[in-house]
Order: sequence, then structure tokens, then C-alpha cells
Amino acid sequence: MQKTWIITKRELSSFFDSLIAYVMIVLFLGLSGIFTWLVTTNIFVGNQASLGTFFGVAFWSLFFFIPAITMRMIAEENRAGTIELLITKAVSDGQIVMGKFLACLILVIIALACTLPYYITISQLGNIDDGSVIGGYLGLILLSASYISIGLFASSLTQNQIVSFLLALLISVFFHFLFDAISASFSGVAGEIFNYLSIRAHYDSMSRGVIDSRDIIFFGSIISLGLLLAQTMLSKRNWQS
Amino acid sequence: MMKKTTIITQLLIVVAIIVVANLISRNMYFRIDFTEDQRYTLSKATRDILKDLDEVITVKAYFTENLPAQLAFVQNDLRDQLVEYEDLAGGNLIFEFINPSESDELKQEAIQSGVAPLSINVVENDQQQQIQAFLGVVLKSGDNTEAIPVVQPNGGIEYDLTMAIKKLAIQDKPKIGMISGYGSPGLSAFPQLVEQLSVLYDVEEFSIADTFSIPTFYRGLIWVAPKDTIAPIEFSKLDQYLNQGGKLFLSYSSVAGDLQQGALQPAPNIGIKNWVAGKGLIFGNDFVIDQNCLPVTVQQRQGFLTINSQVSVPLLPRVSNFEDHPITEGLEQVLLPFVNAFTINNSDTTLRINPLAFTSAKSGTLPAPGYLDIQRKWTEADFPMQEQILASSIEGIGAGNGAMVVIGNGDFIINGEGQQAQRVNPDNLNFASNAIDWLADDTGLISLRTKAITSRTLDKVEDGTKNLLKYGNVFAPILLILIYAGIRKQIRNRRKQKWAQGNFA
Repeated sequence: MQKTWIITKRELSSFFDSLIAYVMIVLFLGLSGIFTWLVTTNIFVGNQASLGTFFGVAFWSLFFFIPAITMRMIAEENRAGTIELLITKAVSDGQIVMGKFLACLILVIIALACTLPYYITISQLGNIDDGSVIGGYLGLILLSASYISIGLFASSLTQNQIVSFLLALLISVFFHFLFDAISASFSGVAGEIFNYLSIRAHYDSMSRGVIDSRDIIFFGSIISLGLLLAQTMLSKRNWQS
Repeated sequence: MMKKTTIITQLLIVVAIIVVANLISRNMYFRIDFTEDQRYTLSKATRDILKDLDEVITVKAYFTENLPAQLAFVQNDLRDQLVEYEDLAGGNLIFEFINPSESDELKQEAIQSGVAPLSINVVENDQQQQIQAFLGVVLKSGDNTEAIPVVQPNGGIEYDLTMAIKKLAIQDKPKIGMISGYGSPGLSAFPQLVEQLSVLYDVEEFSIADTFSIPTFYRGLIWVAPKDTIAPIEFSKLDQYLNQGGKLFLSYSSVAGDLQQGALQPAPNIGIKNWVAGKGLIFGNDFVIDQNCLPVTVQQRQGFLTINSQVSVPLLPRVSNFEDHPITEGLEQVLLPFVNAFTINNSDTTLRINPLAFTSAKSGTLPAPGYLDIQRKWTEADFPMQEQILASSIEGIGAGNGAMVVIGNGDFIINGEGQQAQRVNPDNLNFASNAIDWLADDTGLISLRTKAITSRTLDKVEDGTKNLLKYGNVFAPILLILIYAGIRKQIRNRRKQKWAQGNFA
């Protein structure tokens, strides 16, 4: 765990020592802020003490930002050859993947924490349902964790950051809205399966303030599968045919 | 070194475990409801009603199968809920799902039972088609049937189901008397309230003048907007009824306003004010004005043009300031036009008087008689008073522990009759129904009625404050991040300089 944490800290430092973290957080806050507070869908127009508008915006903005964070995580190390250096430090592939995963997740959590003033403002103006807020933030964290694991897997497949970004986006598109759209065209068991695979269905359930074990297991499944595949791809060099 | 086949096998095993875990989780799951009012958890009222069932209730859910996923989740939600109902009912509730689209007989059965067919669009074979769909529920107990024509997506499934079960389970509904005479409107002037109350009660008109004493079989009495002078003997009958544990919901205003004419008059003294004052609650003689009020549309002629503009009328308070009480739980906004306030002067220690609803912290009064100038420019100075009491409960009346709920507005639940009829604000109805339930019912269904309410309006803020909050929320977090970035860069630069000077400490 200590080795994982060392990798996490190193990755976090590199985020904040470069422009990546600031660009990502500022863009995220800018988009969230504009749509939540300024444009025609803003909170005062809706006149409801709810963070629903923000959760709707964050659902989409994180979908685009996360692949941008994860694209370089393994691909760049593969390209520059620094992954070999890391491996000689007696850390397992699992620890490397987990360390990078936690670093990305902490970065997203910091970005989300920067939106807490929204909650404080609205709770001063009206009777906001704290349960929905907790559920909404938890849903965003789990959604982010899922996309980070997908992003890490995509990053482990290639040495090219752009390819990694596009791959992550392509895989995420299915979970984000394609499965949802496909489910509308199917009925019966097929429709149910596609609907179950849609992240929106699970996210919506959580953002209303209900933590359902089925949603947790769904998100947990995507996260563990993504991390496992990334770790498997990273350990490819050790494979015997 | 690991063999490729071993790795693939291990991967497949993990994937299989994940698939199985997801499949199992569909049937074995738990939920934690974080919502403030436990909106997605079965209420105590529902649990009590299900536990007390004496007869078996069969629930037939007429749901068209293979609906688009956007509607299929309604079926899943209902199924989850019915499983919980079945568990709690201890064998007294059985449910089944029927697909009416399988045959015309089933369609007819569903429609005849009260389920409404819906037309919905589906995509089949790359073509959009309109199909007839059913999303209704029919509950049966013995010869009695209750139907929920359409289960609303994201609606209060629990409220609909529990109410239907309660209707079936009640053998003899308790009676509620609506006091008639003395200028009070008849039952037909309250269709919405009567509909809401008739789930649990038999609501009937009751003439207080025609009886020697008020029968105690009335679980509660409703008295709305009497206008004529009331004989003292009637108050004696009411006192006797309350002393025996009776319950009264009184809706009466000591002032009478007319928005069209602009006339603000005191209501004639018909004796109610003195009678209620004897119980420690004093009716105010003035109109309440509140900064939190309803706007009305006013037509103004400017040359050839007629311009509609919105004007705030503080005589139409929008009440959203409630005491924490079962009657007010879940209420958002009660509209009380031309209302009077109350003061409490209780010398009888056995009586417990609890205010229920208040004006906002910026309120005032207008004396009656007076005149309402709709174009008047109201200023802060017109609202010097803090929260004024607009409704209150009185408990502990007499040896039988009678109770009353008094509200200083006589018209807030009246629909009216004929062409004058209008819909009543939902929370006005909920306030009255909750008050009557609190007085007359002990099953806790009050909480269920307001459970599906989702409206959480924002407080009114001035435009300047609003802009400050808007731009502050957009730019302040970004500014903080940029400041942090600057500080971090400074620290890094200093460290780099030290290193350049050979200082690695």
C-alpha cells in the first residue's frame, strides 16, 4: 500500500507541477459554473434549492475531461520508456495501476470539492435535500472512477496519447449514452441488459439520494474490470506464448 | 513469466465472477435512502397498514411487456416495491404481473378494472410505431376493487399503493362532519378536499343547528368560513363536543378583502372570535401583509396598447415559514390571501397552543376598513413586523383532551361552484388534509401524503445579491485555484534557485 501511495503522490505532484491539473480544474469549474449559475438553465431560473443542474453538467464534462487526464498515464511512460525504470523499483504492475488510478481520482475529487461553494450558497437560499447532494457527489465520484479505470486501460493499449484519449472516449461513449440509446430500440431481456449497462441509469438512481447495492456493484465491476485489464496489458512484457 | 493462456483464463474467471455478482445483485440487494424525508423508503404508515391487514389483498399489475427501457424501469420500481409490500403484509398481499398485450380478453379485463391504456412511441424494425401500453394496477379484496389507472414514472408509487390498500382495508370509514349553515359553503364547494379526505373518511354535511348535541361518532368536524351570527347555544354544543375529546378544524378570517373592488373590510362579528379567544387564541383585526407574496397580473392602457404587468400584492401572502409539526411536514407553500394574524393569550395551563404557520420575517398589517391600491409602491417601511402567527393548534381542551386547528383564512380550501370553481393550490389542500388527519386519524398517513412533494423553492433575493452569488460562485473557485497555482510555482522556483546554488537541504 505504501508503494501505491508513493506512486499516487508522485503522479499528483506531476499533475500540479504541470498545467494539466489547473487546466482541467479551471475548465471543469468554468463549464460547471456557467451552466449552473449564468446561462438560461441557471439555478435562479429553475428557482429550486437543488444541485440537479450542476450534476447534469458534471455528468457530461467529466466524461470528456477524464480521458484527457488518463491518456498520458501509461501511454507516455510506455513511449518514453520510463515504465521500465518504474518496474525496476520492485513495484508490482497492480501497484503501478492502482497508484495512477488513485492519483487521477484524487484530482477529480479536488475538482469536485471546488464546487462545494455551490452547495453552501444554495443551502443558504433554500431547503436543499442533503441526501440528494451526498448521492449526487458519490455518483459523480463513482462515475469518474469508472471512466478513470477505462482511461487507464485505453492508455495501457498504446504509446500514443491521442490514440489513448480517443480509445477511452470510444469505450466510455457506450457506457455514457450509447447503451442507453440502444436500450430504447430493444425490448425484453436485451433492452434490460443494455439499460443495465448504461451508466446514466445507475448515476440517476444515486443522484436522487439512494445508495443501492446494485449500483455500487455495477460501478465496482467497471472499475475492477478496467483496472484488471490495464494491469494485464502492462504485464504483457512478461507473457510467454 | 506467465503463460498467455493462463492469463486469459484468469481474466475470464474474473469476468465470470463479475457477471455472476451483477446477476445475483439484481435479486439480493439493499438500499440506503439518504433523502431528508426518506422518500424512497417505505414509511411507518405503510408498514403499519400492511401489518394490520385482516383480509388478503390481491394486486394485479397490468404492465405491457417489452416496453422501452425508459418506461420499463417503472415496472422494475413497482416490482421492487411490491416485493417489500408482500414481505411486510405477512401473506395478506399477493401480487402478479399481467401482460394485457397478450390477448384482447386481458386488455378488456384491464380496461374494465379501471386501468387506462396509453399510446406510446416505440422503435420496431427501424420504424417508429405507436403502441397501446398499460401501466396500471388493480387491487382487490373480497368484492371491493381499487384501481391505479397509470403508475406515474417518478411519481409517488407508495402513496398510490398504500392509499388504495387503505381504502380496501377500511371496513367502516370514520365520519367527518362538515358543518353547514350560518353562511358556510356546502360540501359541493370543496370537491378537491372531499376527494382527498374520502380515502379515509366519510365526509358528510352536518347542521349544527338541527341537533341537540354533536354526535361523538364524528371523528372530526370541519368548519369553513361561516358568515352569519352564530347563536351562543351552538358554541355550547361545540364546547361539549370538544370536552368529550372531539376535534375541530376551523378556517375563518376576521377580515374580508376583495381584490377586484379593492375593498378591505372587517368581517362582521359573528361570535367566533370571542369563542376562540376563550381558548387563548386571539384573532387580529387587521389584514396581514407580507413581503413574500403572490404577484397578480394587472392590465394597463398606454395609448392604444394594453400592457400586462406583474404586480406584487402583499395582501396575498405566500406562506413558507412553518413550525416543525406533523401537520406542516413536507409543505412548501400555502397561499393565504386576505388573512388575519393571531396572538396567544393563554391563561389556562391545561391548554397547549402551538403556532403552525407564520409570515416571513418581513411583514406588517393594514387596518380594516381600508382600500387596496393595486399600484401602490410598497417599501421596506411597510413591513416593520417580524413573523406573525397565521395558523395554530389548540390541544388539551376539556377532560376528553379535545383539539382544534385554527387558521385565519376562510377561503383557502374552497374551490367554489359552477363556473366560479377554481383549483386550489396543492399545499393548501395538504395543509387542511394533514390538519384533519392529525386531528382525526392516528395511522400516520399524514407523512405519506406530502412524501412525493419535490418542490424546494429558493428564497427571494435582491438582484444585486443574486448577481454577486452568481458571479462569485463561477469565478471565486477558479480564482482560488489560480492563486494556489501561483503560490506553488513560486515555491518551486525558489527551490530550483536553491538547487542551482548548490543548496540541496
